[in-house]
Order: sequence, then structure tokens, then C-alpha cells
Amino acid sequence: MIGKTRFLLAETGQNIWRNIALTLASILVAAVSLTLFGTSQLVARGVENATQRWEGGIEFVVFMKADAEQSQLDAIETLLEESSVEGSTIDEWDFVSKEETYDEFIEFFAGDEELLDTISVETMPPSFRIRPTDVDAGAVEALGSTFETKPGVRTVVFATEVIREIQTNAEKISQVMLWVGVLLLVASAIVILTTLSIAISSRRNEIEIMKLVGASNWFIRIPFMIEGPLQGVIGALLSLPLMAVARRYVIEDFSESDSLKLLEGFRVTDSEFLFISLTALAIGTAVATVGSILAVSRYLDV
Amino acid sequence: MIRLENVSKEYSADSPALIDASAEIEKGEFVFLVGASGSGKSTFIRLLNREEKPTTGKVYVAGKDIVTLSSWKVPFLRRNIGCIFQDFRLLPKRTVAENVAFALEVIGRPKHVIDQQVPAILDLVGLSEKSHRMPDELSGGEQQRVSIARAFVNRPLILLADEPTGNLDPDTAVGIMRLLDRINRTGTTVVMATHDRGIVDTMRRRVIELSDGQIVRDQSGGQYR
Repeated sequence: MIGKTRFLLAETGQNIWRNIALTLASILVAAVSLTLFGTSQLVARGVENATQRWEGGIEFVVFMKADAEQSQLDAIETLLEESSVEGSTIDEWDFVSKEETYDEFIEFFAGDEELLDTISVETMPPSFRIRPTDVDAGAVEALGSTFETKPGVRTVVFATEVIREIQTNAEKISQVMLWVGVLLLVASAIVILTTLSIAISSRRNEIEIMKLVGASNWFIRIPFMIEGPLQGVIGALLSLPLMAVARRYVIEDFSESDSLKLLEGFRVTDSEFLFISLTALAIGTAVATVGSILAVSRYLDV
Repeated sequence: MIRLENVSKEYSADSPALIDASAEIEKGEFVFLVGASGSGKSTFIRLLNREEKPTTGKVYVAGKDIVTLSSWKVPFLRRNIGCIFQDFRLLPKRTVAENVAFALEVIGRPKHVIDQQVPAILDLVGLSEKSHRMPDELSGGEQQRVSIARAFVNRPLILLADEPTGNLDPDTAVGIMRLLDRINRTGTTVVMATHDRGIVDTMRRRVIELSDGQIVRDQSGGQYR
């Protein structure tokens, strides 16, 4: 058994070494396609996270100062209460406490120890998320700005056209990346198929002898069935650091750039990143396996 | 050991390769297949290790109907059948010993068995001294000896030889025939297709003559004619 395994691994190694340029090409195509796929998912998650507080028709958020006094909070609450009882201007509203804000923050910035060290529950601003009755942009702005001058209010943030636009744009970017990624995945399967067909044809003498002396069909297939998925797995593993770079620079730059201040919270959590990485790994392996099965059944006559 | 019952093989309808051939070959026999090029000798041989299936008729090897044998069992049939060819078919990037070991490695024989059997078989074919040479450093006769070692290292019941002396000069061919004779004496059935009149006439074994795909003569102790 050990001898058999060693022989099969040696055969696989030889296949790869003889065909090294094409093997590298397949690995790189797999890596790039999975990186694009993964980044598209990262952007989608980022948009989702960033726009979370704007879900369900929330049109503006009143952020209080972190050190706002309870009486100031109560004053705003009373005002909101009145506005909604009258039913004229505010449909619904939610209060988000310091603690809740802190929890959200922790979730977003999980893993960023340096940042988490600098914050505490006390430094978090409590806020009111507000759904106005009239969602016309002018009316929303008029209503929101009445809160800006109230004592204890730090700022009022609107879900303006800009946010909606960014949301759509980010979605478009993510869609384009996804489709280019999918196309490249198909290309990657074809490259793996070609690599294997060349590997098979360059070994046709060995394969002929193997058949003649009675090597079992699986024994002949296995080196090729290892080689293809191996290329997919290596490609997928290479795509992980590339995605980490994409996460760190592209997405976080996005969230920090001045013009996009409104998209604070454009982050991807560690668990989301892990999930996307595992998905990329699974897809890479699956695509390469499909390529290998096609190659073996088409070109290996056993 | 081998039985053909009314076997026909057509590659294309107008020129059949083998027509209604029947023959029985006993264990331990040495049989020459003779006939002109294209008379069906190679087809005969290829039917015996299931490289080809007959169009009609039955082929039995070691008591088994090999025509209906499922394809995953074919490798196990072939482990009982050694093959040698006119063009040796050695792997050029492997040494003599590695070429022989390859036949055992790919059927999953453990290393200690390989380490013991390869030197023994190289000794039998007289190539112990050259086990680390590459095939292109050997003469034609030596290369054919390597290919015989590879075919025989697994001690098959049957050895099929398709023109094994076709590329060799007469003196070298005699050496190869001595080796095949020796293998035959161990009880291995040998079926050899050949054009070599001298060899057939000297050895005086059973001769099956094919002409245009038909068996026209089956004679023990025969000559080439």
C-alpha cells in the first residue's frame, strides 16, 4: 500500500514537472479567477454591512454625542414620540444604545485588536434611526435638519441619493467581478483540461505499457485525477492572500476615503472572510475536478 | 489454455482481418503463427489479450470467456499474459532495471518483491551487468531481452510475441529464440507471430498458418513452407 501510494505520488510529481509551464498557467488562472470571485463577494458583503443601518426604509440617523446627558436623550425621544403620535412626520424610530453600537462595532472590526483597544462602550455615540412618513428627499432633509440643532446631537446622517448611488455602483462592480470571475473559472477548467490532455499524450508510451502489463484502470487514472484538483487547490490557496490584500487595501480604502464618509462601516468581518475563503477553496477544487474528469474520460482510453 | 471458436474480426466490412478461425492451444505449447503481412497474425494475437474484441465468435483464455469480460477485469486477465513486440516498446527515460520494475510497480507489487524479482529475471535474460544502463545504450537483441524480462517478470501463464525477431540480425534472433524456448520449458504457453522461416524450420513446433484471415494449416512439428 505504501509502495503503491509512493509510486502514484511520484508519477503525479513527474507529470507536473514535465509540464511545469502549463501547470503554472493553470494554477495562476485558477488563482486569479477565484480572487475575482472572492473579491466580488467581499464587496457585496461590505455593501451589505455598510448599508445595514439604512435597511427597512431608514432615511436618517441622529447621532448623539458620546457624552450626551440622559436628559438630552430624553428630550429627543420625547420629540420623536410627539412627532410619531401625531402621525404626521415620523412613521417609526429605533433607539440604538451605546452598548448596541459597541456590539455592532466589535462585530465589524473583529480581529482589529489595535482599533478595538482604543474604544470602549463609553466612547460610543448612541443614535436614533428614523423612518419618516414622507420619504421625499427634500422633506426628509427638512425634517432631519430640525434635529441638528438640538442639544446633545453630534450629527445627523442622511441616506441620501449618494448612498443609494454608491450602493448600486458597488453592487455593479461586484456583479462585474463575479461574472469575470465565473468566466475565468470556466477558462481555468479548460486550461486544466488542456494541461491534462498534454500530460496524458506525453505519457502515452507509459500508459500503453501500463495497460499491457495489467495496471488497473484506476491505477492509470489516479495520477491525473490527483494532478488536476491539486492545481485547483493550489490556485485557490494562492487566491486567499490575494483576497486578503483586496480586503485590506481596496475595501478599507473605500471605507476611509473622504468622499465616501457615509459608507463608514464598509467592512467585512473575519467570519465572512473565512466563509468566502472556504467557498473559493471548494469552488476551485470542484472546477478542477470537473476539468480532470473530462480530460481523463476524453483522452485516457481506459 | 487458449481456445478460439469460430472467431471473425472485421475492421471494415469488405476486408475482414480474421474469418471463422477456430483453434485450441494447450498449456505449455509453443505455437508459431505464420503467414504474409496482413494475413491476420497480429489480429489473432490482439484478440488473446483483449486489445481487440471479435466481431463474432468466442475466445477463451484459461477457461474464461474473455469477450464478455467486463472492462475492469481486463487488467487482471493481462497480468497473466506477457507481451513482446518487434519494436521492444521500452521506456527510454528509465534504466533496464526500472523498465522491468515498472511492470511490477503498476500492478501494485510491494517493493521487497520488486527488489527480489527484478535482479532474478535480469539474471535469467543475461542482463545482470547492464541493469543500470539506459535502453539506447543497448543493442537491439539486448533491448528485446529487457522487454522479455518485463513481460515475464510477473510469471504469466501465456507469452504473446508479435514478430519479436523482426528487427534483429539472424544470430541475435537465435539468442532470443533460445530464451523464449527456455521460458516455454517453465510451462509458459508461447504464441509467436513470425516471418522468420529459418527459426520456424529449426524449432519444429506447432505452426498455424493464416492466409487472408483464414487458418489454412495447423500442423504440429511443422515447417514454415
